[in-house]
Amino acid sequence: MKAFLTSTGSFLPGPPIDNDEIENFLGRVEGKQSRLKSRILKSNGIKTRHYAIDREQRTTHSNVEMAVSAARHCLDSSPVPTRSVGMLSCATTQGDMVVPGFGSMVQAELGVPGVELLTTHGICSSSVMAVKAAANSVRLGEHRSALVVVSELASRLLKSTRYEAAGGLAAMDFNSEFLRWMLSDGAGACLLESAPRGKCLRIDWIRSFSHADAFPVCMGIGSPTDTTDARTWQDYPTYGQAEAAGALLIRQDVRLLEHMVKLGVDGALRLIEEGVLVTAEVDHFLCHYSSHHFRGKIADLLVMSGANIPQDRWFTNLYTRGNTGAASILIMLDEFLRDGRASVGDKILCMVPESGRFNTAYMHFTTVAE
Amino acid sequence: MTISRPLALSELGQATLRQLTRAWFGFERRLALVPIVRRLDLGTFTLADYQQLLLHLRPQVVEGSRWISRCASSFDRDHSDIRSVVLGHANDEHRDFEVLESDYVATGGELETIRKQPRNIGSEALNAYLMFRAGEPNPVGLLGAMWIIEGLGEKMAGNWAKRVEELTGVGRGCTQFLRYHANNDDSHMNKLYGLIDRICTRQQATHDVVLTANVVGRLYALQLEEIDGAQ
Repeated sequence: MKAFLTSTGSFLPGPPIDNDEIENFLGRVEGKQSRLKSRILKSNGIKTRHYAIDREQRTTHSNVEMAVSAARHCLDSSPVPTRSVGMLSCATTQGDMVVPGFGSMVQAELGVPGVELLTTHGICSSSVMAVKAAANSVRLGEHRSALVVVSELASRLLKSTRYEAAGGLAAMDFNSEFLRWMLSDGAGACLLESAPRGKCLRIDWIRSFSHADAFPVCMGIGSPTDTTDARTWQDYPTYGQAEAAGALLIRQDVRLLEHMVKLGVDGALRLIEEGVLVTAEVDHFLCHYSSHHFRGKIADLLVMSGANIPQDRWFTNLYTRGNTGAASILIMLDEFLRDGRASVGDKILCMVPESGRFNTAYMHFTTVAE
Repeated sequence: MTISRPLALSELGQATLRQLTRAWFGFERRLALVPIVRRLDLGTFTLADYQQLLLHLRPQVVEGSRWISRCASSFDRDHSDIRSVVLGHANDEHRDFEVLESDYVATGGELETIRKQPRNIGSEALNAYLMFRAGEPNPVGLLGAMWIIEGLGEKMAGNWAKRVEELTGVGRGCTQFLRYHANNDDSHMNKLYGLIDRICTRQQATHDVVLTANVVGRLYALQLEEIDGAQ
């Protein structure tokens, strides 16, 4: 059996925030402007993003509220009634509640009865895990429809008060500040069905390759600033002590990021070798990573080995919608499809390289008509 | 006839390059698991680690020039264009070990100690394999060895040298060997593309090149693993 992606939706909280306004929302650590901000923004190329917090760093939309708004946006564009959704497959990096699972909270707020529920755990690629599980469920014939909802509220982690509680400017470095100028908030959704509906996407395959066995953590929350301290956040007597030790800050080991590009290419080469992926046939490439990272020697190598996808086939909205972690790929797909960019017969490749501990995920679709 | 970068590779050439790239990523993945490399990644690498690294690299670097020279002499007149490239390569690298020795002395080591250092299990296996392959008639598979060893040279220059300095506090005068391959990036890649185009015209040659790359990567990683194994 096959599965078809028949509708998409997204939600971005509040107005777009430009680079000069970021610190008015996230706050200034110890009242001082960041000295690294412009350098990091220049490298990630993001121009505008959205935050679910206001200028006083109060939450304006919960993660669940954003998720439900994206889900409604998706279902409002489809004749499938909410109550008939068979499976609800959700992903987020951090829900509003620590437990129960994010999916339970989304189900409650969305009001969909008796669904099979899944919440995947991880970072950016958890969205693809959620899509794959939903697609497999439809393919197996267990459900006629499955709704995937992915939402991120990273800004709560990036507030100036978080850094002040962890030792302030004196305790901050490039790795702890990097994601402050990278991540923002938003939600995406898609509906999968067992039969095509109108112009839609047939799911050809979804694959991923994880490399956690070989490489250290590259992006994470839970370890203290002192790298010789092996404790993680719950090992401290109190959460206050964990926060003071920097164990609740989100960090990126920037030096390890180069592995992400290579492992992204490695996964694509594996799929080419298997005969699953033919890059020359890809009409549209949606990548949750800026194209300028694939430059220089690796770009030349892709061209020479016939594995390149020309720049004019890339589509991204990272620069205007921001990097919304796991939600990004669905927010991107939503804008891409609503713009009417896919014609019947077009093949679409999505790639989500997750730096967390290096998981690279790929989805391949063909545009079909009912 | 000289070997230079082709405008485009044939279908088999492209497939070879993709397989070599996979072999390289597999090698990097294996390297990331080697204890001394992991310490470099995690930031726990010490000056003593660096000295051990240099000690264990030297025997292979000394032998490196020998297998390349032997390889050159194994190409017949129908492969003289390849022989020219290999000869140039042998000439470039046959005194690399002196740079390595000087780095070791600059870190406070004794010249006599590094000169006496025997090959470890990995160096022994790597050297034996390379010398054996180099002695075969027209050993085109050794393109795979070049791919891995030159790739590692670039990785050392672009990635390891600065990290070693950062973690151990040694100056540039101690990392000249690691930095050695930094400047010839483009010309090396163009030469490799040219060699793939020249050599990989049959499936058998591609198989041979990729197999050699994988064996050399595996043995090189063993050489680095043995830095901890031998202690």
